[in-house]
Formats: sequence, C-alpha cells, structure tokens
Amino acid sequence: MIQDYLPFLIPIIALELILALTALIHIFRHRSFRFANRFIWIAIVLFVQIIGPIIYFAIGRGEDS
Amino acid sequence: MNGFTAFFKKELLEAIRNYRVLILFSVTAIFGMMSPLTAKMMPDILANVGVEGMVLKIPEPTFIDAFTQFFKNFSQMGTVVLLLVFGGLLSQDLAKGTLIIPLSKGLSRHAVILAKYASALTLWTLSYALATLINYGYTLYFFQTISVSHLFFSLFCLWLFGAFLLAFLLLASVVTRGAFGGLLVTAAGLGILLICQAIFRMDPFNPLKLVSENVALLTGKAAFDQLLNTAWSTCALILSTLILAMMLFKKKSI
Repeated sequence: MIQDYLPFLIPIIALELILALTALIHIFRHRSFRFANRFIWIAIVLFVQIIGPIIYFAIGRGEDS
Repeated sequence: MNGFTAFFKKELLEAIRNYRVLILFSVTAIFGMMSPLTAKMMPDILANVGVEGMVLKIPEPTFIDAFTQFFKNFSQMGTVVLLLVFGGLLSQDLAKGTLIIPLSKGLSRHAVILAKYASALTLWTLSYALATLINYGYTLYFFQTISVSHLFFSLFCLWLFGAFLLAFLLLASVVTRGAFGGLLVTAAGLGILLICQAIFRMDPFNPLKLVSENVALLTGKAAFDQLLNTAWSTCALILSTLILAMMLFKKKSI
C-alpha cells in the first residue's frame, strides 16, 4: 500500500529534510543564540517536523556576525 | 529609482538572505502536496489502525476532501507559519535601529511601511499561488475531476485573510516596542477575533469568516453574497490598517 504513494511522499520528505538541514548547518556555523543553547536547538530542529526549523529561524537565531 | 523601489528591493533581498523565502516556499509546497495526498490516503490509514471487531465505513474520498485538507492546513498551520516568518518584519528593524540611517538620509517613512507591506504581500502571493497550483495538479491527478463553483473565490478568501494578517502585523509592530511585540499583539488580536466569532457571533464583518467558510462555500452551504460582503469589508479594513500604520509610524520616535 505504501508503495503506491511513495512517489508522492518522497518530494514532501525531501523538502522537510532540506528545511532541517539548512537549519542544522546554520546552527553549527553560529555560536550565539537568542534563547537556549546549541543542543536544544538541534533537538528541536530534528524532532519537531516542519515547525522546528521555522521556529529556529524565526526566534532562535542569533545575530549574524 | 525612488525610495520605495530601492527599499522594496532591499526587503526582497533581505527575505532571501534571512531564509524567509526558503521557509515560506518549502512549507507552502509541502502543504500543497500533502493535502490531496492525505485526503487520498485517509481510508488506507484508517483501515490500518482499525480496531478488532469494529467496522469503519468511510466514504470514498473526493476532491472536496482534498480542498478541505488544504484549507485546514492553511488556516491553522499556515497562519502560524506566516506569523512566525514575518513576525520580525518591522519589529526587528526597530529593535536593532537599522532604520535610523536610511530615514535620516531622506527615505520617507510612508515608503518604509508601504515597501515592507508590498514585499511581504509579494512573497505571500507567490508562495500561495505555488501551493494552490501544486494542490490543484495533485487533486486533478488523484481524483480526476474538479467540478465546483466558486473555487477561485474560495481560494481568494484565504489569500485575502493572509493579506489582512500581514497588514495587522505591520500596525501591531508600529504600535509596540521590542523584537517580538508585533507578533504577540497580532496573536492576541487573532484570539480576540476568535472570541468574537465564537461567543458574540459578530459574523458579517469578521475577517476570520474568510477562512472558516471556504469548504462550506465549495459545497454550496454558505452564501456567496455574504462572504463577498466580508471580503469587501476586509479590503477596507486592510486599507485603513495600512493608513493608520503609516500615520502612527510618522509620529513614532525611532
């Protein structure tokens, strides 16, 4: 049954992965965050689907130096 | 090149570098793909979690279900995403003081508000159009037929609500201080609108009606004329919100 829908699921999963990866790369390249620390943000980005990376970019991101 | 176009370009560039464009477009694309898929898969999902000795009778899903999912996703998650992505649109500039230099160099304050609104509206329109096209294509593929009246108007109502939300966010950011003031006030404003709708039944002019009646409009259960009135009043509301924001921003000390 899942095989029937696989071609349609892959783009969705790919987009979610892109979001999470962008956020992860950003986390690793920056030292300061507005709230919390690196490990909490990694957990949020990886385990909260879709909304996790958005929350990170919206409120968690520190200043670009 | 006048102040408006220059600032508008700067806003779009900032949106790209801030990951706003990436987030908005990928999330709306996900919604566009997910909604018809969820509608199509629902019987299979329910069949797999079926409890022993219980027979679930589920009607064959139709394209209406796909649009139900689409409107549900956008009016709930979509609103949250839109607010989070554009939450710092003006607040962050005010909190960091990055507007002081362009304003002292002669950029008009009205241009700031208008360019910010125009850039946010452009991004919202493009991403929403993308989601709608994907959703339409997928629905056409899964369910073959889409025959319904008022589909465009129903989709337009959701877009208009997004436009209203952005205007309100700008006004809230002008009024408040701090990086998250606008976001919080807008969330509170949405809460008040919800209460108005649920308890006081202030229906005819409530913009929330635009996102709660979409499916009813598609199935013919909601009156087109009534919703058209709400759409017009929301347009007027957006205009007055913007004008108020410009007037207040003119007096604000930065």
